[in-house]
Order: sequence, then C-alpha cells, then structure tokens
Amino acid sequence: MNPAATPEPVEDVQGDGRWMSMHKRFIAEAKEREPEVLFIGDSLFQQLGLIELWDKMFVPMHCLNFSIGGDQTQHLLWRLLNGELDNLSPKASQCFINSIVVICIGTNNHGHTAEQVLGAIEEIVKVIEEKQPQATILVVSIPPRGQYPNPLRDKIATVNAGIATFITKHTNTQFVNIDPSLFISPTDGSISHVDMHDYLHFTRKGYQKWTEPILEDIQNLLKNFLTADQASLAMVPSSQDIASMADVN
Amino acid sequence: MDLEARLQVTEREFHTGGGPTREKRSPTEWIPRPPEKYALTGHRAPVTRVAFHPVFSVMVSASEDATIKVWDYEAGDFERTLKGHTDSVQDVAFDHTGKWLVSCSADMTIKLWDFQGFENVKTLHGHDHNVSSVTFMPSGDFIVSSSRDKTIKLWEVATGYCVKTYTGHREWVRMVRVNHDGSLLASCSNDQTIRVWVVATKECKVELREHEHVVEAIAWAPEAAHQSIGEAVGNDIKKGQRSGPYLISGSRDKTIKMWDISTGMCLFTLIGHDNWVRGLVFHPGGKYIISASDDKTIRIWDIKNKRNYKSLEAHQHFVTSIDFHKNAPFVISGSVDQTVKVWECR
Repeated sequence: MNPAATPEPVEDVQGDGRWMSMHKRFIAEAKEREPEVLFIGDSLFQQLGLIELWDKMFVPMHCLNFSIGGDQTQHLLWRLLNGELDNLSPKASQCFINSIVVICIGTNNHGHTAEQVLGAIEEIVKVIEEKQPQATILVVSIPPRGQYPNPLRDKIATVNAGIATFITKHTNTQFVNIDPSLFISPTDGSISHVDMHDYLHFTRKGYQKWTEPILEDIQNLLKNFLTADQASLAMVPSSQDIASMADVN
Repeated sequence: MDLEARLQVTEREFHTGGGPTREKRSPTEWIPRPPEKYALTGHRAPVTRVAFHPVFSVMVSASEDATIKVWDYEAGDFERTLKGHTDSVQDVAFDHTGKWLVSCSADMTIKLWDFQGFENVKTLHGHDHNVSSVTFMPSGDFIVSSSRDKTIKLWEVATGYCVKTYTGHREWVRMVRVNHDGSLLASCSNDQTIRVWVVATKECKVELREHEHVVEAIAWAPEAAHQSIGEAVGNDIKKGQRSGPYLISGSRDKTIKMWDISTGMCLFTLIGHDNWVRGLVFHPGGKYIISASDDKTIRIWDIKNKRNYKSLEAHQHFVTSIDFHKNAPFVISGSVDQTVKVWECR
C-alpha cells in the first residue's frame, strides 16, 4: 500500500475547518463556473492565484485554481475523488469542449519516498483521465527547494525524471518540465531569495519565470483547440478586427 | 479614410468632449461614448444581467449575490434591493408596461415581481436545474424560460402554470428570446447550436450550427435593422428581395453571427472580440449592433459595412451583459467586476 497514493483528507488540527471549507467552495465553483483551465495543487499554485500576474494572464483564459497550501498527494487525491472534478464541463462526446487540467504536487510529501510520490502523481493523472476524459493534462515538474543543494532537491529530481518516463503512457498528458537551473546559481548551486523568498515559495519575480513555460503551453493548446475546430469547417476567417464577410453556405 | 481626415474627426471629437454633441447627431446615429457617466457599486458578486425599465428612468441589475438591484440611471442613484432568490440571479426582464418584472435563478425558480409595490407575487417551480434566462411574451400574458435542464418552458402569468415545454437541445440552454409578434422563440445552448421554435406547436423550425463553442447570447433584429442587413448582403429591398426574420448570436468562439431564419443561413460573421462574447443588443435605430465581451470591451458594429466601428474599454473584468434604451440616449453594462455602468450616447 502506497501511503502517498491512498486518498486521505487533511486532519483539522487547528480546529477551524478551513481545509474542508475550501474543498466545498471548489466543488461549488466547479459546478457553476465552467472553467476552461483548472489548476490543482498546493501552495505553489495557491499563491500564484494571489498575484497580479494571475489576474492579468490567467483569469482572461477562464482559469480556476483549486489549490490548497500544505497539501500532499494523498490529500489532493481525496479532493479529486470527492467532487472537485465532477460537474466540471459538459461531456466531450456531445460538445467538443476542450479543457486543460494543470497539476503540480508533491513538494510537501516529506514522509514519502520518491517512488511513492511518483506512484501517487500517476494515480492522480489516472483519476483525472477517468473523470474528465476530454481534458488535456499538464503535469508541471516540482521546483527545486532549499537555499543550497540538499537531499530534498535530489528526491525532487528523481520524481521529475520519473514523471518524464510514465507520462509517455498517457496520451492526453504532457509534462511541463521546467529546467531547475532557471533558479539555481551555476557557481554555488544556491537558490536566490529574489526568486524564492523562503527558498521554497516563489516571489513575484520567481513566478514570472516559473509560469512562462506553463502559460505558453496553455496558450498553444487553446489555440490548437480552435484551429482544429476551424479546420473541420471550410471557412477560416482571416482578417482580424475588421469584420470579415463570409458567405458560407 | 485617409489619415488626415481621420485626424480631423478625432480632433473635432476631442474638442466636443469625445463625440458629436447630442444636437448634431440624430437618435439613429448616437452611440455610447467614454468615459462612463456612472459606475455604480453595491453588488457583492458578479453582475449577470442588466435591463432598462420601458417607462421610468430606472434600470435593474441581477447578480450572483442572489439579489436584484434597482437604480436610477439618470441620477446615478441606488433605489432598492429585491431579495428573495437563494442563489445566483441569472436573468431579469420587464413586461411592456413595466408593471411586472420577472427573474430567474440558479435556485431553480422563476420569480414574478410587482414593480409598483416591489413585492414578489409569484414563484414558479418546474425546472430541474439552474434557470438561465427568462423573458415576457409581447402580450405580457406568458413568460418563457430556459434552463440548464436542457428545456425551455412557457408559463401562464395568471395561473403560474407551465403550459408548454420545448425539448431538443442536447445541453444547457443559455438564453431564450421571443420575436416581435410572439410567434417564434430563439434559444442558444452549450451544445453550440441555436434553435428557432414555433411557439404554438412546439415544433423546432430550424437548427443553426456554425459556432465552434458555447453560444452565449442571441437577439432578434428589429424591423428598423432590416434595411442595413439587406444592404450588408447586397439585397435590394425595393425590388422585393425581402427575407428574414433575422437573428444575431454571440459565442465563446469570440464571433458574432447574423442569421436569416427563413433560409437557416449565416449571412455574415463579425470578428474582432478577443474573448467570449456574452451580451448582444441591436441599436434601436437599426444601423448598429452593440456587444459585450470577456475581453472587457463593449463594441459597436456597423451592420451595413460589417465592421467593428468603435470599441470601448468598458470594465476591469469580463463584461457580462448590455442593454440599449429604446428611446433615450443611454446604454448600460454589467460586469464580473461587480459594477454596473451607465454610458451616455452622443
């Protein structure tokens, strides 16, 4: 039994029920909001939702963010199996609506081995495939952590390498493998507080770097969805801003 | 137009405060001008729909905060809040007298309000899911509604009974609108189609498929717009080449399409919005279409030339709804930024 892949809600040690409140809010949002892009993860995605970059670049693409700080893979798995992916969008068979689910999880799994975390991430991918078969899944690599090289960084590197391998078995899934050297000094292997203020969480500048490849992949996917649809029709509107007159039939 | 002429126009507009004065421009030409006259705050969640009262100088806004608010659009004053729904209010509409207001909600009900006493006089139950859109028949005796339960329902105002159900859409029905004589219904859906129904027989007269995403909004062309539409497609009305009725639709595929219902053909497509099109209304003069979009703009489209005539940076967030007053120079818009804006036309 892999503990990292065994669904489990977070224990409410503080006694204010916030984790469950957030989970319930996500279920309500999933039902009403019809997102085209859904972010699921821990604090790394949660805090992205608080900065201007999110409002400016992600909100216009109809993104929702179901991320909770401190979550480990087993907690995320529990949330996905308990309603957060239900009622998301109408079924593809009838509507051809494409959606994207972006996940980044695992940095908080302190008690688990790299193999266990890896198994859990694959399990999460399988759950998403089952619940949202029309969705494209983007798995984002876990970023490096700690000011100087440390065993956690090595474990994360092992997990990321493993994702790159298992992902090839999943057709609608892509790996956004963000090069850790973006954040690591080539001279002493250190991570700067300018990118990660506590050597784990990103600053606004850090987010700018980290999200650039994610944003690019999402934009390309959304563009492809539309071109694929347009290709199925004979007419492709060419002129922007000036209304095109296309007598189609 | 060459650059110099364009510069002259811009300079003139600058000196007269961003557009021709009201005296100079005829009511058929006036269009909303920035900046907004009022930005009204009070809703605690996104505004889903705005609508003008047909007689008095008031308007209503519906919101995801489960309330409806009444505002004086000439003075920019908040008048009152109508409470009763228990979930997001999705649509609101007046009857032609303005004595009655109807609203619908994600709480699955439709509510009829006496707009003189501001009382909720009836609550209609029957839909099995979120009620997305509601409107009066021109006579005022019946109400039409559409729902996420994939159906459209016709309700008798006097009894509150559902007298007809129109089925056929394969997904969530986003909006339903009645034509001017009350004989036809048009509806649009998450199934990416538009359907036109014969009210009396429940028959689906035509299904229009060309949009590539959810169709969010529709509007019937008023009689006044028929000439511009005819000119746009090269028909000569005087020679008796009449057709129609006409309908426009706005979609998440970012386009607006003009349809001839008699033939089921798309006449032309208006491209320019950079995000979902959410609201559509015809200019009462018939020469323009006004649209609201998630690209945060309001756009004015010249029908005859099939082009984007003006764009207004309207809100901080998605623009969800728009209405044009039938005879006064005002446009109103609602947004996810929780504000309602009043735009004066010149």
